[in-house]
Amino acid sequence: MSTHNVPETFSIPVGPLHVALEEPMYFKIDVQGETVSHIDINAGHAHRGIEYLTTKRTMYQNVVLTERICSLCSNSHPQTFAMAAEKIAGIEVPERGIYLRTVADEMKRVTSHLFNVALLVHLVGYETYFMHMMQVREIGQDMLESIFGNRQDIGAMCIGGVRYDLDDKSIAYIKGALDKIEAETKDIIKTFKTNGSILRRTKGVGVLTHADAITCGVVGPVARASGVDYDVRREAPYAAYDRLPLVVHSLTDGDVWSRAMVRLEEILTSINLLRVCLRDLPGGPVNINDRPDIPPGQAVTRSEAPRGEVIYYLRTNDTPQPERVKWRVPTFMNWDSLRFMLQDAKIADIAMIVNSIDPCLSCTER
Amino acid sequence: MSRLPQDLEARLTAAAPAGVEFSAETDHYGVTVAWLGLASAADLSPVAALLKDMGARLSMITCAQPSVPEEEEEDEDEENEDGEAKAEAAPKETPKTFGGTPFDGTSYEIDYHFDIAGDALTVIAYVPQGGSIASLTPLFRNADWHEREMMELYAVKVTDHPDPRRLFLDASVDGAVLERLIPFSTLVNAASTKGLWERLVAGKKGAA
Repeated sequence: MSTHNVPETFSIPVGPLHVALEEPMYFKIDVQGETVSHIDINAGHAHRGIEYLTTKRTMYQNVVLTERICSLCSNSHPQTFAMAAEKIAGIEVPERGIYLRTVADEMKRVTSHLFNVALLVHLVGYETYFMHMMQVREIGQDMLESIFGNRQDIGAMCIGGVRYDLDDKSIAYIKGALDKIEAETKDIIKTFKTNGSILRRTKGVGVLTHADAITCGVVGPVARASGVDYDVRREAPYAAYDRLPLVVHSLTDGDVWSRAMVRLEEILTSINLLRVCLRDLPGGPVNINDRPDIPPGQAVTRSEAPRGEVIYYLRTNDTPQPERVKWRVPTFMNWDSLRFMLQDAKIADIAMIVNSIDPCLSCTER
Repeated sequence: MSRLPQDLEARLTAAAPAGVEFSAETDHYGVTVAWLGLASAADLSPVAALLKDMGARLSMITCAQPSVPEEEEEDEDEENEDGEAKAEAAPKETPKTFGGTPFDGTSYEIDYHFDIAGDALTVIAYVPQGGSIASLTPLFRNADWHEREMMELYAVKVTDHPDPRRLFLDASVDGAVLERLIPFSTLVNAASTKGLWERLVAGKKGAA
């Protein structure tokens, strides 16, 4: 045995720019040997002051601006913002618009979840399968690009409805793409349940207990993987979710594997919802074809983004610009839970655990 | 058909002795959105404790500086109780009364957005300029970041916050950024195109 006097605890920085983190976040991690004993989170590297900017733009310009807060849930922002404006102005979105909103929402969810789980496989070190999963996601990205003309900021939403329409040809195309993604996702789920490399790295790692999940107020797949059975689409329905066969998936282990599994199961549910929407798609206009002034008022609206509950607070006055717009994205709530997940974790698992909350920084910091 | 408890308004009123303003609206999906204005910001903690007992989840905190309202009614309120507000403004920790909070564009409206089994309840507290509000972190751990963000965007003080550091803004940036006009060129730190041009010219001269 060595008799050298080495300190027992070290402090290591992870980030702000780190190979395993997609976006800049700085973790100051105290370790004892290989084990994490304390973490400190330092945010603010992607703060852009968009909240201030919204009060300098008109309501209609803000639909464009809010879409650019984040790329992976870019559809949820303008949708929830538009919902708040519609609530204040008493605008009724036409039936077809309601269904098309749901279609755009679920398409984004499929590709967002695939992206996150693919990154998990990458961090596990299973590069071949990571490439394969990104290829599967690419079917979804192609679908977005073909329908909306863009891979990320799809520009589908407007106050009073949506800005796109589907015809028989595009519906048939989407159905074909969904069939492909569904078959692949079922395969991925099978792999996640049986592959030794994935199971050994992710099972029982980064556990967030049910009680801690409640304390932290986490939302989305992170909450559902810890047994918090909450989904805005079911609890506070919007768009067409009140008439769709929505299945909310929740697990109880609260580990990295459970969070990935919830996301994978949700992909299948989303595909099912998309098929029902495309089957039941009512006729008529897709939006109100008007840009009415939004009267003074205030509203709170929520929607289920891929990462969980997005909440918007909107206050308008007599001017075309809103007086205050405030929103909170799911990741804003979920960062804190990392303190519980990373406690006593191994250094090698840090990046994987951070990825498992599906962090979105540009959303969080705005 | 609200999922909020039937006696919610009565229980909230009992928890806030200074008085409340309650309204609720249910949309055609059956989702209720309720608003609760507090007459006194001191009632925030008891109301929040009651909501926690009911299993509420704190979803978001919004801070804003409401502009001067145009309704005459509220102007009258302001005048009537202005004296009271000023009398109370001296001790720093004493939260101000709802009616006495001047609506002059400098006082703060702090909205606490709760989720109760899918329904939304927003608790509104008013704090005059220079005032403070109790931290909700003893009850709701997740109030932490919201309050830290509120403290850097506005000059509002949060008492007993366990970790009142800056959240997103660097410590070198002056506080209350949403309360003052910051020219865009200063904001982006690139100065105006003129400034950039002058710097380029100066650099060129130095090189030559």
